[in-house]
Amino acid sequence: MMAKIMTTITASITTTTMAEPEAPPNTFWRNPRWWRAWAAAGFGPMFVVFCVLALVSGALVWHLKGPDVFWQALQEDLAMVWQTVPRVVVAVGAASILWVLMPREKLSALVGRNAGVRGLIFASMAGAVTPGGPTSAFALLAMLGAVGADRGTLVAYISAWATLGLQRILIWDMPMMGFDFSALRFAATLPLPVCAGLLARALPITLNLKEERRLRDKL
Amino acid sequence: MNIGTIIMGAICAGLIVVVLRRGREPSLDALERWLEQFAYVIPQLAVALLTAGFLAKLIPGEFIAGLLGPEAGWWALIIGAVAGPIIPAGPILAFSIAALFERAGATPEALVAFITSWSLFTLHRVITYEIPLLGLSFLRLRLLSVGLMPICAGLIAAGILRLIG
Repeated sequence: MMAKIMTTITASITTTTMAEPEAPPNTFWRNPRWWRAWAAAGFGPMFVVFCVLALVSGALVWHLKGPDVFWQALQEDLAMVWQTVPRVVVAVGAASILWVLMPREKLSALVGRNAGVRGLIFASMAGAVTPGGPTSAFALLAMLGAVGADRGTLVAYISAWATLGLQRILIWDMPMMGFDFSALRFAATLPLPVCAGLLARALPITLNLKEERRLRDKL
Repeated sequence: MNIGTIIMGAICAGLIVVVLRRGREPSLDALERWLEQFAYVIPQLAVALLTAGFLAKLIPGEFIAGLLGPEAGWWALIIGAVAGPIIPAGPILAFSIAALFERAGATPEALVAFITSWSLFTLHRVITYEIPLLGLSFLRLRLLSVGLMPICAGLIAAGILRLIG
């Protein structure tokens, strides 16, 4: 089982490195379908849901509190949007560049190899710098579990990703809550993933990770 | 322009220089992701902020301040920690709500507990990623070992605030 996973991982790493020189140049901006997908992602169902929520809450304010309060609230809201949105745009850009620059395979290799408190510290650091949303973090976590990382490492990694994730701090904490608050939250949470990892190792319960299910196994 | 904006701008400018020096393909990959993430985040964020602002007018500030403000004392930490995971939404809504709480007078330590517990245990992420990929056994282990983390974080934050005055 483990050997199989290791070979698939090394195979995928070698194929990506092999394929790189031959990969076609990225010309996404010339593809009209890319832009259509872009518009659909930005103004899709979730956007409509948020719009409906805004309209309903706005209408409630108008109805319950009167037009004066409504216009005042709208003015304050637009000021808030004007303050926040440019900062988030810059933060999203920084996070995208980080995602491209970060060597993700090296990250998981580093975490898998180390044990002890050192391993927990490495796992927390890896969790903090793992770019991308839950898809990439949980995929990496499942991979760590599959290659046999201990449960303390797994808990420390995902806790650090959730609470200390630099990308989330960059995109959300700093633009929306301010620098002081982000620094406070970062400092207050800093030691906790390692503590949680130690606690997870000490707990007298058994852990059965789900086996990876592939479509090809069902064929 | 505050210090956070300046730091962020500097980080972003530095990263742009680094990725441009890597060559054309990495730069284009980064640009593509930037535009993608822009589409996923910005339109929703703008409308979510509007919603949060209207909600702030509807929910009396005293109500939130009573639950999460200084009057609530240590209860504010527990209420913040419990309220976090209940918000089954991504960061867009969660942080809009956190900003709303902040304006309504929630204490920093209660906000730390709220954001920490949201980021650790938000329901939709547990349901869509954790249980399918790792299973209930891992969730149980995590609840037992990480469960108190939001309140610990809030207590440490309160300690830091006392220390620096």
